[in-house]
Amino acid sequence: MCDEGGQCHLQNMTVASGHAYREYEAEKRRYQSQELGPLIRQEMNRCITCYRCVRFYQDLAGGEDFGVFGSRDRVFFGRLQDGPLESPLAGNLAEVCPTGVFTDKVYHQDYLRPWDLEESTGICPHCSLGCNTRPGAARGRLRRVRQRPHAEINPYFLCDRGRYGFRYVAAENRPRQAQAGGRSQDFDGVLDRLAARLAEGRTAFLGSPREDLDSNLALFALARVLDAPFAAFFEPWEEAKAREILALPRPPAPASIPGYEEILVIGAVERVAPTLPLFLREAQRRGAAISLLRCLPSAFATLAVEDHLLPPADLLDAAWDWLGRRHHRPFLLLIDTESVGPELLHLLRREIGTWPDGSGILPVYRQANLPGASFYAVDGHASRLRAALAGNDCDHLLALGQDPQEMDLPWWRRHGDIDLSLIDHRHSLSWDGAWLTLPCAALSERPGLYYNGEGRLQAAAAAYTPAREERRWRPELGPFPLAAGGALREEVLPSPMALCRALAERLELSERWQERLRFYRDFLLRAAPRPGDPGVFLPEELRARFRLHSAPPPRATDQGWSVCRFSHYGEEELADSARELHSLAPARAAWIAPGQQDARHIRLRAADGTSRTLPLRALPGMAAEVLAIPRAELVFLGLRPGDGVEPEWLD
Amino acid sequence: MSLWRGLLASLWTTLRQLRRRDTLEYPEQEPKLGERWRGRPVLTHDPDGEERCVACELCSAVCPTQCIALEGADRPDGRRFAQSFRINFARCIYCGLCEEACPTLAIQLSPEYAFAKTERGDFVYHKEALLIEGTGKHPEYRYYAHAGVRTQALPKPVHCDPRSNLP
Repeated sequence: MCDEGGQCHLQNMTVASGHAYREYEAEKRRYQSQELGPLIRQEMNRCITCYRCVRFYQDLAGGEDFGVFGSRDRVFFGRLQDGPLESPLAGNLAEVCPTGVFTDKVYHQDYLRPWDLEESTGICPHCSLGCNTRPGAARGRLRRVRQRPHAEINPYFLCDRGRYGFRYVAAENRPRQAQAGGRSQDFDGVLDRLAARLAEGRTAFLGSPREDLDSNLALFALARVLDAPFAAFFEPWEEAKAREILALPRPPAPASIPGYEEILVIGAVERVAPTLPLFLREAQRRGAAISLLRCLPSAFATLAVEDHLLPPADLLDAAWDWLGRRHHRPFLLLIDTESVGPELLHLLRREIGTWPDGSGILPVYRQANLPGASFYAVDGHASRLRAALAGNDCDHLLALGQDPQEMDLPWWRRHGDIDLSLIDHRHSLSWDGAWLTLPCAALSERPGLYYNGEGRLQAAAAAYTPAREERRWRPELGPFPLAAGGALREEVLPSPMALCRALAERLELSERWQERLRFYRDFLLRAAPRPGDPGVFLPEELRARFRLHSAPPPRATDQGWSVCRFSHYGEEELADSARELHSLAPARAAWIAPGQQDARHIRLRAADGTSRTLPLRALPGMAAEVLAIPRAELVFLGLRPGDGVEPEWLD
Repeated sequence: MSLWRGLLASLWTTLRQLRRRDTLEYPEQEPKLGERWRGRPVLTHDPDGEERCVACELCSAVCPTQCIALEGADRPDGRRFAQSFRINFARCIYCGLCEEACPTLAIQLSPEYAFAKTERGDFVYHKEALLIEGTGKHPEYRYYAHAGVRTQALPKPVHCDPRSNLP
């Protein structure tokens, strides 16, 4: 039983050339296959020795833990020992392999022959590149995601976060029941209570940069007709970064990276957008000079002409030095915006006019729709929202697709009396303690529009309608017969748009809400793309209004230990619920460069006195006096990348 | 003369049929059907008592009315089996293409032809109803004796040790 059947190159060629029967009499060679982790399955006996896997894995993706062994008729492709593949692009092995040697283990769990899958046109919701995907679903379940080529974003490959992150739709703890005060209730009852609470007029609204455009605009329009504060970010600092991202001139497309001769990479871009290394390697093969400014280990260290290991606070000065040299040719800045602050983006953006024509800045981050969500909400909305919640204006926050407690915990510890209502499709940190919770359809279960990091608006179609198979057909389940007699009971959760509409109807503001929504949408979209289109760009004149802001104040940094964000390539709020992918993430720890401390544990204190103890691990290739900790710990302690800390070393 | 002969001969032929009767008193008397009569498909076991079906989905692919739906899963020993198997006999046209497509001879058309229902939903047979005890028409056939990876653990390959030339 080979999973490749139906999409097997060897099978197609064999049948096409007509020798479908085997006449080989001698004993065939037999291999011992390897266990390659939770994502890829190997069956070496199907190998035709085409070397595609090793050419992709080593030459294109730069992986070092997979290779070719043996000689003659004993050639073997694999690792030195069993173990999970380390490359963030390992999932592409299943696609480049023309036979069934490397097959997709996650698809295998829900396997149906590929000819039975209904494939749609999707957009990857796990980072800012907005790669095009082809989700395949059948009988009410999403079974796999493959890449759909887009000449300017992902011409050939898709990273593992995009390929396996879709499993968040099947997470065990995915909420499906509306709850009030932690107890399950029907949707109508919860919506009635929520509408009554909104009518009191003491509610603030929070959108989300990882939700699609229409959901955010629906919530924004609802906030507007209720004259309530709205923000797309809970953190003013994040919002300032979003504003700087919107203010950039149109960034170059990822696929144009190989055309540059000089590239400056700031931060850990390959952890944020794992397909970027493919383009950077291509650029390096074409002779580009790549310079690295980083505080975490990087796979490009061997490719770069210069490589600076710095604490996060020094990245700006180092970038400034690099720009201060004479550059005659267009160059590119790739910036991981999670490890820098808004002031760096601002100062670099101000300089763009003096750069050679064709130069650009490509920011990368993990939210799929940051420009779309924050377009109307970057002028200090987050500060106003916080002020309203902290003061006496609001005592209730309605958040869509974002958990404000995952953004800033110290603030919530100080303001514990605020009621929180959530509309989301994942079980987030404060889900159980929220006042009202409304589960909504996942991103792949509804159509959506996403603005990616280049300001390109792309449309995703709904990949599937979630349904459960009923054993027996009954008349109330619909017309008979479904082809093979099974009946599907649809388990559709409402989209955020539908929830906002229901709230507007209950508040008797439906017409005004519709009118506002249409107005915002028409302003932002001259022409909405259809799924499968290459996408339309945010007009330059709409970006211009974000350039009027003055520089954000730089943050004071003291020399000594500073923190940066440690992240795994599979890490993203949604993809964290994808079980197979998440099983590869390293255990919770704090990471430092080897040889600096003998302590086993580290204790960090937040400003309000709460502390967190983490095991300490050495990470070769890190900057000195830098402490890398996961995002959840940064949020718990209220720290940002670049902040100085005074760690306590414990045994 | 020949006219009389023709009349008498045909009358004799008619009278001769009086003793032969093709019509059966159906429920009491069953017709004898040939070996290859195409009636209701069944799933069979191999001689070792294992289910033959390996959930390759070729029957559902070839079925012209798309009345077969199945999903496979892995057994602990690595062999695949059909986790669920459904045939909607309200659609089945008994063409036998599934039997022809099946590489393991698991699905076979049995001579059963009479299974009327009063409810349309009852025409959907699940695996429990499709699977019969025994081997059906092919008592000796073991798919895994002829093809595929043997499900018992293979001995360590001696022929293809890629590390044999490592220092």
